[in-house]
Amino acid sequence: MPTYFTRTTVVLALLCSELLAQDSPGKKAPSVTMAPAAVATVVRGKATAVELQFRVASGFHINSNTPSEEYLIPTDLKLDPPTDIVVGKITYPPGEQVSFAFAPDEKLSVYSGDFTLSVSVRPLASVLPSKYEFRGTLKYQACDNTACYPPKRLPIEFEVKVVKSPKPPAKNPAQSPHAHN
Amino acid sequence: MKRDPVVIIIVAMVVSLMLVLGINLSRHAPAEKAGSQSQGRPAPDFALQSLDGKTVHLSDFRGKAVLLNFWATWCEPCKIEMPWFVEFQKQYAPEGLQIVGVAMDDSAEKDIADFATKMGVNYPVLIGKEEVGTAYGGLPFLPTTFYIDRDGKVVDKVFGLKGRGEIEDLVKKIVNEGRVARK
Repeated sequence: MPTYFTRTTVVLALLCSELLAQDSPGKKAPSVTMAPAAVATVVRGKATAVELQFRVASGFHINSNTPSEEYLIPTDLKLDPPTDIVVGKITYPPGEQVSFAFAPDEKLSVYSGDFTLSVSVRPLASVLPSKYEFRGTLKYQACDNTACYPPKRLPIEFEVKVVKSPKPPAKNPAQSPHAHN
Repeated sequence: MKRDPVVIIIVAMVVSLMLVLGINLSRHAPAEKAGSQSQGRPAPDFALQSLDGKTVHLSDFRGKAVLLNFWATWCEPCKIEMPWFVEFQKQYAPEGLQIVGVAMDDSAEKDIADFATKMGVNYPVLIGKEEVGTAYGGLPFLPTTFYIDRDGKVVDKVFGLKGRGEIEDLVKKIVNEGRVARK
């Protein structure tokens, strides 16, 4: 009988967790968070891609950078780089083409779960080797299955470490093993 | 003392059920309360500009049953409801229904007007203001729809997209309630 009791308790616990997991849509605030970015090392004068990782809270989606309709608000990263560090192309992942219950015949281009943006960073040759902080915002507009939330701006911060370009290897034909053929 | 396993199971079930109900009630309490707070109270009046440049007050519609829909061009679920509202406006206008849309966009008026034209909207669309949103509870998300009776009182408040049938039932409710009262 204790086995039966244990089994019943487990079933009830599962039932409870299932019921608790059900929440009315629109009663939980949407969120997009950025994972702490490791300090990227970039060489002076060279463009380097820095990856920024984001997570959309479960149950929500945000429009991709290229939404399927012109009136939808795209996800957009704006950066304010330190002086003499040039921000080049920002590469957004393609959106997932998803149909939602509210519009089963329509596919929307969205991000959900984890997604990564790549930012091309190029310090000018005059930049002193050091760590530099980038700040900016990620504009996004989130929806769940029944409602949409006003556009939000997520503050972004990450650092890059600017280093000198490595010296080219010294050319000394006299030390080459092939020089004495 | 020997414990009856059946009694233990029943007690466990009752306790679990109470726990689930308690947690669910406490979770949903703020939203439900927010909804019920406005029910039966006068809908806040406002003066907003319509897409054709007129100043429109909610009180202009006194005597009509009003479906007040807050929406935005960037809100896909809002777009789903609009054709239904167009149909309801045609069908229930003779019975005293007035649908009013309030666009809570930052978009240019022209973009809102183009969108409304594209959707075939046959009811007034007003340009929303933050203070009106605040007066209606803050509108944390869209669509949010208020069902207002002929005396200007909020009968119901609906968050998010609902089914066509559910919306039509509420339309009938506000149309019929006032009509019965005025006979």
